[in-house]
Amino acid sequence: MSTTLNPPLNTTKKLVAPLDRNRGTLAMWMVIATEASLFISLFCSYFLLGNNKSRWSIDDPPKLTYALILLAILISSSLVLHWGEKQVKRQRYVAARIILAVTILMGLGFLALQSFEYLDHWKKLAPYSDSYGSIFYTITTFHAAHVIVGLLILGYVLILPRYNSKLESPYRAYHIAAMYWHFVDVVWVFVVLILYLIPHWIVYGH
Amino acid sequence: MSTTTVEQHLTEIWETPKGIWGKLSSVDHKELGKRYLVTAFILLIIGGVEALIMRIQLAGPDKSILTPEMYNQLFSMHGITMIFWYASPILSGFSIYLIPLMIGARDMAYPRLNAFTYWTFLLSAILLYISPFLGQAPHAGWFSYVPYTNIQYSPGHGLDFYALSLLLLAISTTGGAINFIATILRMRAPGMSLSKMPLLCYSTGTISFAILFALPALSANCVFLELDRHWGTHFFHVSGGGSVLMWQQLFWFFGHPWVYVIFIPAMGMLSMIIPVFSRRPIVGYPYVAISTVLTGLVGFGVWLHHMFSVGMSDMAMSFFSAGSMLISIFTVVQVFAWVATIWKGRLVMTTAMYYALASIACLVIGGLSGVYTGIIPVDWQVHNTYFIPAHIHYVLIGANVFPVFAGLYYWMPKMTGRMMGETAGKWSFWVMFIGFNVGFFPMHILGLNGMPRRIYTYPAGLGFGPVNMLVTCGAFVFGIGILISIVNFLTSMRSGRIAGRNPWNADTLEWDTDSPPPPYATVHIPTVVSRNPLWDDYDEEYDPDDTRILDEGRQTLSTTWLDAEPFAISQMPAESIAPLLAAIALFVFFCAMVFELLWIALAGLIATFASCCFWLWPRPSPEERSA
Repeated sequence: MSTTLNPPLNTTKKLVAPLDRNRGTLAMWMVIATEASLFISLFCSYFLLGNNKSRWSIDDPPKLTYALILLAILISSSLVLHWGEKQVKRQRYVAARIILAVTILMGLGFLALQSFEYLDHWKKLAPYSDSYGSIFYTITTFHAAHVIVGLLILGYVLILPRYNSKLESPYRAYHIAAMYWHFVDVVWVFVVLILYLIPHWIVYGH
Repeated sequence: MSTTTVEQHLTEIWETPKGIWGKLSSVDHKELGKRYLVTAFILLIIGGVEALIMRIQLAGPDKSILTPEMYNQLFSMHGITMIFWYASPILSGFSIYLIPLMIGARDMAYPRLNAFTYWTFLLSAILLYISPFLGQAPHAGWFSYVPYTNIQYSPGHGLDFYALSLLLLAISTTGGAINFIATILRMRAPGMSLSKMPLLCYSTGTISFAILFALPALSANCVFLELDRHWGTHFFHVSGGGSVLMWQQLFWFFGHPWVYVIFIPAMGMLSMIIPVFSRRPIVGYPYVAISTVLTGLVGFGVWLHHMFSVGMSDMAMSFFSAGSMLISIFTVVQVFAWVATIWKGRLVMTTAMYYALASIACLVIGGLSGVYTGIIPVDWQVHNTYFIPAHIHYVLIGANVFPVFAGLYYWMPKMTGRMMGETAGKWSFWVMFIGFNVGFFPMHILGLNGMPRRIYTYPAGLGFGPVNMLVTCGAFVFGIGILISIVNFLTSMRSGRIAGRNPWNADTLEWDTDSPPPPYATVHIPTVVSRNPLWDDYDEEYDPDDTRILDEGRQTLSTTWLDAEPFAISQMPAESIAPLLAAIALFVFFCAMVFELLWIALAGLIATFASCCFWLWPRPSPEERSA
């Protein structure tokens, strides 16, 4: 039981400690963990559906060209965004904003190129052709949806006001948005590996 | 200002504004925890009434009170409501209310996320319960196996309501899990290292991690189902190369961890209540804590035991059978710890303790029938008979409903400030306990005699009639027992004895606040040196320099996750209407998806994004506004 209740207001001293700025980062790590589990579920479904099937992707794997160009776009966008994060740390806010805008343009380029890939791929495979088409388009569309969410977050950070305010460090929002964007890029690495490269290797091996 | 005490100042900072606006924008964990409890309890009553209607239909052979379709909708809604919308949210309600108080924090780590998860939980329940009013409730059980749930066998919107309201609930549950993990790992009072943390924090933390990793499998499954039903894909159509078993694999990969989600926190509550009424610390604290975490971990490796009768390779079945045996050891460790605590202690037989003891008994019976069904040949024999409902109800009523009632009787004085009536409580207990055993024990016998589950009636010649009548009577007696507790609660809330700070002479920090606690909880953020803070001689609020008052705005301490060393001050957000707006926008999206109104769905998504921007948009601080 406390014996020191009711101290007068003006006698309280301040605890000297910094403000906790990393709760948002912690939450983003957990969002990434659960989103990663979602993609693991999707990849497991891909393998489960492909198990013991007569017709499967290895007969006619999707083209590599588009996927690899898309991969290059996303990886370079991650590097660019990382460079932008360094600019915020050095308080070069205008440069950071320009770099962020470049990242968003690269993300839009990714989406545009992926729609071309869909138009091309649709001629031989549609989501309603068979279970392979269903899971192929579901995984890639889920990833595209995450790219769109990532772009919306980056766009929000781009227009975030008061970069110079002391209380609302711009670094926090920038950093958290960048974490999500890097995650989306890493997912695409696995999509390329599992949906595109491995079927080609299997065909090559045969 | 010189007359303002620190209490008044802190109240000014932390108090939720009065009136309807305050209600809609509140982010106070105490307010939200109570709402969770009330909403989930109402859903328990709805699910219970559904069960009673089913029991009337099954009371005798060849009854025709319900049509087969109505029966199917009722048993599905009963299961869905109880497992998804009652069992987990009511435990979240306890944890949201209690954990910040128990660990000496002034709120959850993300107060606005907390409000958002409550609103999405409420709106997902509303979305689910639109369906019976359209006469199109889901009718394929809480597990909704394909191919029965494909569009050609289940036309109408029933399964769409199921899949989409579950997706909305998944968002709510995931948000809640993130909030619990951050609160437990980051907000504990200085000195409350992991080895001194109350056991409820261990259980809630464990299931929060389980939710993060298991729930996406259900979400993926629900998306596949919707795509199959309305967009022509072939995930579950064998003719299109799909796999019917994939639904079951994904569903149970989520489903078995979920079983632990709905009972591990309840076991954590028992681990808090039993030591208090045995008047001694729990026996084997580290073993209970470790086995809680291991249950959550090994819970990911047993899901195939729900599918033994499907037919799989012997290797896989043996592995999962062994896993199912292994996991019972961790539960047994906790049960033995409770029994040893009771054995070594001096019992105080309050109503809460009655419920706790009943819970151990029922959990052991349900656990043993679980060990039977983990043995593959026995499982093949009893699968799809009433043995399985008997098992699941012994586990879930034993390890969820009874602990919840123990928790209500134990913590209600803290929440309302008044004691619950003990005499009425004990009446309620005995009526519930007898009704439960009369209602559910004969189901084992029915199952062994071969009565299949999920049937709407049975012919007279099979001789199931008398036992079924007994089961129905037991179910009604059980319902009356719950009703007595509700009446008891409503009367004691107005006219019960004043509880005071610590009516049970309990050991944990939530009892160091007034009942009901003020909005700021304690004037000084407490410090902790032992596992039973209020039983040792140390003064938790000893703070000669008043450095831990933190009255410069909504502030609480951040501490390191392992040793709970303070390293920073957390600035907490104030009330906001944004979480409610975001939840409503998401609700519009999911509603529109049920009826495939794509433009409205798109508008819902845009509104969700807009309200999230409004939620997070930085506002100038008072100093900056004046500058």
